[in-house]
Amino acid sequence: MSEASSASAATAPSAAGAWSAVGASAVAVAGFQLRRLLTRPRLLLAGLGMIFPAAVMLAVRRTAPVPLDRDLTVVMLYALVPEAVCMLGLLVTMCPVVADELERGTWIHVAVRPGGRRALLLGTFLAAVAWTSVVAVAAVVAALAVSGTSKPTGLVAMFAALILLSAAGRAALFALPAVILPKRALVASVGVALVVEFLCGLLPAVVNQATVSLRLRSLLADWMGWRRNLPTEIEMLVDPAPAWVHVGAVAVLVVVLLTAAVLILERRQFPPSEEG
Amino acid sequence: MIEVDDLVKHYQATDGSTVRAVDHVSLAVRPGEMVGLLGANGAGKTTTLRVLATLLRPTSGTARVAGCDVRHDPIGVRRNLGYVSATTGVPDRLTPREILRSFGQLHGLEGTGLAARVERLVDVLDLRSCADRPTGRLSSGQRQRVSLGRAMVHDPPALVLDEPTNALDVLGSRDLLAFLAALRAEGRAILLSTHRLHEIENRCDRFVIIHAGRVVAQGTRDELVAAGGELEDAFFRAVAPATEAAS
Repeated sequence: MSEASSASAATAPSAAGAWSAVGASAVAVAGFQLRRLLTRPRLLLAGLGMIFPAAVMLAVRRTAPVPLDRDLTVVMLYALVPEAVCMLGLLVTMCPVVADELERGTWIHVAVRPGGRRALLLGTFLAAVAWTSVVAVAAVVAALAVSGTSKPTGLVAMFAALILLSAAGRAALFALPAVILPKRALVASVGVALVVEFLCGLLPAVVNQATVSLRLRSLLADWMGWRRNLPTEIEMLVDPAPAWVHVGAVAVLVVVLLTAAVLILERRQFPPSEEG
Repeated sequence: MIEVDDLVKHYQATDGSTVRAVDHVSLAVRPGEMVGLLGANGAGKTTTLRVLATLLRPTSGTARVAGCDVRHDPIGVRRNLGYVSATTGVPDRLTPREILRSFGQLHGLEGTGLAARVERLVDVLDLRSCADRPTGRLSSGQRQRVSLGRAMVHDPPALVLDEPTNALDVLGSRDLLAFLAALRAEGRAILLSTHRLHEIENRCDRFVIIHAGRVVAQGTRDELVAAGGELEDAFFRAVAPATEAAS
């Protein structure tokens, strides 16, 4: 450290480039978070997430008195992957977005950057969605391989779409408890998942329109061509709107939830005693 | 460059009581000046610096960096300020070069401008030999230099450092302080908190002594030691009345 830093003047972005700067910052944080996920415990957890549905399929196939038909396989896979694996993956990757930074003492260094908080949240969201989606799609492929289902390619494509929507919607949903109650984010997110996604999502009332689970179920019923043959009591649990409406509803939910989370995080202040 | 005027910061304690962490603090740091913020643990140094860094909002009073108010223009403050803390908070798995690049991107820097800035800092901070090694394998001194580089990646005119030498040995501290002196010579305003008075006694232009959230003395070293002794004696003289009043 013999000489000081002369100003090699890296230029600051213009106001017009602010949005692209936010995008670039979020992508930088996403890369940073994905590298953080490449630890042995996290990789082991991802591996378990990949083989768990296949193991369940295998066990059911061996013990079931009759071979599983395609529809039953799809229903089981839906419950195991876009619901269970995605939820668990996001609890690990999205919930600690602020708590981890406070714990590691890195929060202050991110928060003192222009747009740092926003980039942290959006970047972690991107990383959580990417990580969870890759694990979940691998889980679907493995489970279909052991289930012996014919023509699995179409199912993989359908599940990939459901997984992406599930991961994005639920990651945005978990962003709220993560920024409101960072130190209790995991517990709060489990509560939110149970109350919002499972309880409210299953209520045949207006409230379920704002849940990701209704959209996913409805898309599943639509894409599998089940709608015309559904029993009345099951019909109440899906929305007959066309697929683009459900995809659009999830997109709107993601935007609204992430915007709310960003606004809250921008205003959060943590006294030094709350760190590390 | 750095101005704090009648700053107050209260916290709500878990028992519902109000904690006055900072109580009507005023200070200023001009360009090309290094000011030492001295105080015992819990005196209010970190809270003052965190208000300046826009990490905490003031209860009342004002704080400005390069003319930008922390309350009304926090983004402007962040563009003009570099912040270094005692806990370096550098991610173990990333290399110094990756950290500097990532944080440069958070400032909207990109392309050749960012690459040139990173390489310049790697050279200036003497990190060339470890620039591609995960920071988890670096010494405390090297990690603190990475932290300083991260604070300077956007070339800010003002620097705030919260006990930066805490984890450093005597050689690391000396190097860091020499580097800060060079930054001051470039015209940057530097506000540095510490309770290791002997390290900065002859390096800072002025000192602000803070105790129980209040400024109890401030001035140059010569002004503070006018009554005799070293800076440490002046410090004890300044905080003694406040300590007695509190007890």
